[in-house]
Amino acid sequence: MSQVLLAAEGLQRRLGGRRVLDGISLNLERGQGYVLSGDNGSGKSTLLRVLAGLEAADAGVLRFQGEQTQLPRYPDSWRPRAVYVHQHPYLFHTSVAGNIAYGLKARGEPRERWLHKVEEAMDWAGVREVAAVPPQKLSGGEKQRVAMARAKVLTPELLLLDEPTANLDAEGRRRVMDLLARLYAEGVSVLIACHDRELIELPGVQRLHLENGKLS
Amino acid sequence: MGLLEPTREAFALLFRGDPELLQIIWLSLWLSIAAIALIAPPAIALGVLLAKRRFPGQRTLVVLAQALLSFPTVVIGLVIYLLLSRRGPLGSFELLFSPTAIVIGYMVIAFPILVVFTVSAVQGADPRVFETARSLGASRMRAALTILWEVRFGITAAIVNAFGRVVSEVGCAIMVGGNIAGLTRNMPTAIALETSKGDFAQGIALGMVLMAIALGINVVMALLQGEGGLK
Repeated sequence: MSQVLLAAEGLQRRLGGRRVLDGISLNLERGQGYVLSGDNGSGKSTLLRVLAGLEAADAGVLRFQGEQTQLPRYPDSWRPRAVYVHQHPYLFHTSVAGNIAYGLKARGEPRERWLHKVEEAMDWAGVREVAAVPPQKLSGGEKQRVAMARAKVLTPELLLLDEPTANLDAEGRRRVMDLLARLYAEGVSVLIACHDRELIELPGVQRLHLENGKLS
Repeated sequence: MGLLEPTREAFALLFRGDPELLQIIWLSLWLSIAAIALIAPPAIALGVLLAKRRFPGQRTLVVLAQALLSFPTVVIGLVIYLLLSRRGPLGSFELLFSPTAIVIGYMVIAFPILVVFTVSAVQGADPRVFETARSLGASRMRAALTILWEVRFGITAAIVNAFGRVVSEVGCAIMVGGNIAGLTRNMPTAIALETSKGDFAQGIALGMVLMAIALGINVVMALLQGEGGLK
């Protein structure tokens, strides 16, 4: 039986007089992959950022596993449970491992525990071979994989990925696609905003389309 | 009188390790470091606050800090003198003409430099730093510290600049320190005094030390720029 992980009701977001989100309601189920398509500027990123608590909605209600909040209030405790990965991820000026460990350290996990998790996450994302490279010198695809590992290592209940394959070369895109397929296979709940036809047409993925601030 | 003889004497004083000269250099460095160490944490914290938070009067505070950058240090000295003088509101602490008075003066001079540089560095930080940190579960405080880490070269530049400004400052130090030998006489005030007495050797020696410090500061700044971290 499906179980609703995150439910949104009546999300409203106005930017510069335009209704970017116009009363959006949706239910995201545990273990399900979703792709969110829509034209440029249709509000895909805004919706992901509102769900991650990075952007305040003007109105609406969010329910995370039954726990409810009236927006724009967003509980701090929800943040590492719904992690947003930027289209152009920012990697901190530390090592690749330091980036992946960031959220675990912020959570106060002891070193001996996060060290092991970081090692596993590096293997998962296939970034061990670039572990010694300064993060700022990584390619777009490598940065994206480090960012995905950094999010996944927190074992979030929901991953919100914003255009993860945009502006990547063929090899970078292929490796990110592999990771996404593994996320689906592992039953991680993922919502991906994208234009990528191959991603949109992945089997088993539920499709959402955003147009004029409304979902279809 | 030519420059050659006092310059030769200046080198002799430096290489001989003249105790009076060393004491003046030590006091200058010590007072400057103490002032920066005391004022840097609150000034940097205010800089982060002004850069990241919107509140009434925020813009006014930034403009005020910027205006204080160009405030004559002798006027800062005058205000502190009036506050610390016997009849002043803080006269009972008997701090006038003491090293503490100079440290207070230096802190006031360094404060706007640290605030303005920090505001500039933090505002120049990539906005993704804060939201990435928050999305990964960092508290607001931890996310703010992450921003400081990301702009650490800019913050170091602020500290180095503030140090460079106070270590060579003369107006405020003379007014509130009184240029007392062995107690409050630092490099700039000693140069002013010795030159007025016609004793150029010590002035030139101290001038060379100050120039070496200025050069050192510029080398540090250039190295930081080489790291690509200066915003």
